[in-house]
Amino acid sequence: MEWSVARSDARYGATLEEHEGRVSVTSLTRDDSEVTPPNVVVSADEKEGRVLVEVDGSPRLAHVSRIGDTWWVHVNGRTHVVHLHDRGSSATDITKGALTAPMPGTVVELHVKQGQRVREGQVLMVLEAMKMEHKITSPKAGEVAIVNYEQGDRVEMGSVLVEIVD
Amino acid sequence: MAPDWMHGSPRPFSKVLVANRGEIAVRILQAARESGLSGVAVYSDADATSLHVEIADDSIHLEGEGLEQTYLNENAIIEAARSSGAQAIHPGYGFLSERASFARAVEASGMVWIGPSTEAIETMGDKISARSLMIESGVPVIPGEELAISEDSDHLGALATAAARVGYPLLLKASAGGGGKGMRAVSEPRALRSEFEAASREAATAFGDGTVYIERLLTGARHVEVQVLCDSHGTSIHLNERDCSLQRRYQKVIEEAPSPALSPEVRESMGQAALMAARSVGYVGAGTVEFLLASNGQFYFLEMNTRIQVEHPVTEMTTGIDIVQKQFEVAAGLPLGISQSDVIQSGHAIEARIYAEDPSQGFLPSTGRLAMWRPPSGPGIRVDSGVREGDEVTIDFDPMLAKLIVHAQNRQAAIRRLDSALANFVAMGVQSNIDFLRNAVSHHAFQSGSVDTDFLDSTPSAELSPPEPDEPILVAIAASAHRLGVGRARSGETELADGHTGHPGDPFRTLRRTFP
Repeated sequence: MEWSVARSDARYGATLEEHEGRVSVTSLTRDDSEVTPPNVVVSADEKEGRVLVEVDGSPRLAHVSRIGDTWWVHVNGRTHVVHLHDRGSSATDITKGALTAPMPGTVVELHVKQGQRVREGQVLMVLEAMKMEHKITSPKAGEVAIVNYEQGDRVEMGSVLVEIVD
Repeated sequence: MAPDWMHGSPRPFSKVLVANRGEIAVRILQAARESGLSGVAVYSDADATSLHVEIADDSIHLEGEGLEQTYLNENAIIEAARSSGAQAIHPGYGFLSERASFARAVEASGMVWIGPSTEAIETMGDKISARSLMIESGVPVIPGEELAISEDSDHLGALATAAARVGYPLLLKASAGGGGKGMRAVSEPRALRSEFEAASREAATAFGDGTVYIERLLTGARHVEVQVLCDSHGTSIHLNERDCSLQRRYQKVIEEAPSPALSPEVRESMGQAALMAARSVGYVGAGTVEFLLASNGQFYFLEMNTRIQVEHPVTEMTTGIDIVQKQFEVAAGLPLGISQSDVIQSGHAIEARIYAEDPSQGFLPSTGRLAMWRPPSGPGIRVDSGVREGDEVTIDFDPMLAKLIVHAQNRQAAIRRLDSALANFVAMGVQSNIDFLRNAVSHHAFQSGSVDTDFLDSTPSAELSPPEPDEPILVAIAASAHRLGVGRARSGETELADGHTGHPGDPFRTLRRTFP
């Protein structure tokens, strides 16, 4: 099991010790190198979704929520996202040249078809969500190998929209 | 039976349908309940279990898909009102609130329209006609040319002449526009033609009308607006101003009252100008006159919004006047019952809009299930929200989840209270702008009250980024929580515990419509 904090590439491994409902970190690795473990003790609070966190002996409450392999942590007035990974898995596994949806939405405009040549920066399609439009532009010049959606289709965040090959 | 306070009213009603959803529907339905009125909600498939439906006395399903068939469907909503026995319709903001055809249809069906006359909506809805009327009425407007330039005529010559008279930099604006659509800044004659074509095309797509006009571009200006209240007996008063200068791409993010930038003299003359604007269209009800305040203290009419405004709570907090209740009273034909001298300004209020968006990804919309939703509470803190813990945030609607409003004795205290309330606002499962709002309010430019409408768009993102997180501590918390088995998604969402106190079976819950 490995951990990473959103928007950071570092992978952490933590060894924990539990004593009477209090969990602390005995060792921590960062990208497989040993680093000093933080002096943190965590115990469950009576309120659901809340934990008591002692950092260097000073206590504070934190809220935590797990959705799939993602942990949301609210502590010291900020919300963070921490990901849980299988050891050794890579962050993303998207084919080179594939354009993924940066947000969930509906395809409101589709400007290209399979086999078409496109310029760098050319608008390939337009997504709409929550009254906001977002243009999907080609990152490079090339040929459209695959178009996975049609106008009016709904797409999930991260789904591959178009693939561009040289 | 109409409530007691409506006694003697020429147009009494006892049941009101709210033609809206989300936080504003909740706000209006709560106000209706407080006033002794029954409230009827309408909802689309996606909203079947939404908060506004839960708190309404009665609710009517709008069949069909998409906004056109549901919340923008004039006939279906009037039919819903008729079948539920409602005698009045409140449109909220957005959706049908500024459609004259809807106001007309509501009145034609014999129901009370909670809003101004169709003429007022039409005049103010068209930017060019509103501008001409303001010039006639002596309300200052931004130097410009209100000549309508439509794409099909021989426009390029006229455009260039008009642009030269106005001077550069200038702003091309869609007559039917709003929210930044069909709006383009032009800094030099060379770019005029292409920007005009872009603005006109955008306006035609968004509003079905490509008419564009020209205004001088005022840089370093603030957005200050005045809330007005007018009854059908000739009384019109204003409830002071709101400063909405903190915007991102013409979308308001933070609003406050009073404005930190107004001198008593400018406040007074802006209030008078707002009343002149309202009177010029024979305005009845609650409305907002928006002004651009230039850095030299001059102010200019921008537009009048003929409906309740998202940011109305900051005025309510500082004047103590319930604007929605006043809308009910005025719609029933009652006099306002207060005069200008009764309007007080107490302390300072700030509203922050909580959006489902990801500031680290260019503010793209964010969706998902609100796994945890614990808004802050305490003295001087108000949360107007349309969502609950467990609700699904989808791409179908506006990304605004809630409004956090704070009130305190003065601006500094209000900023501190806002920051503290934002810090205690727990929203998980959907990315939100809560952290970003904290960074914005702690920025020295906001603290000193000197932001203009370009501030958020022109400030380097690093200045508005949160502090680097301490990754080992976060990993320690997540890994420990994982070990302890806390924070797992609950099954069934039984809602036994009260959202605020955490105690099961909170007595106040039973006062809500949770009985069969």
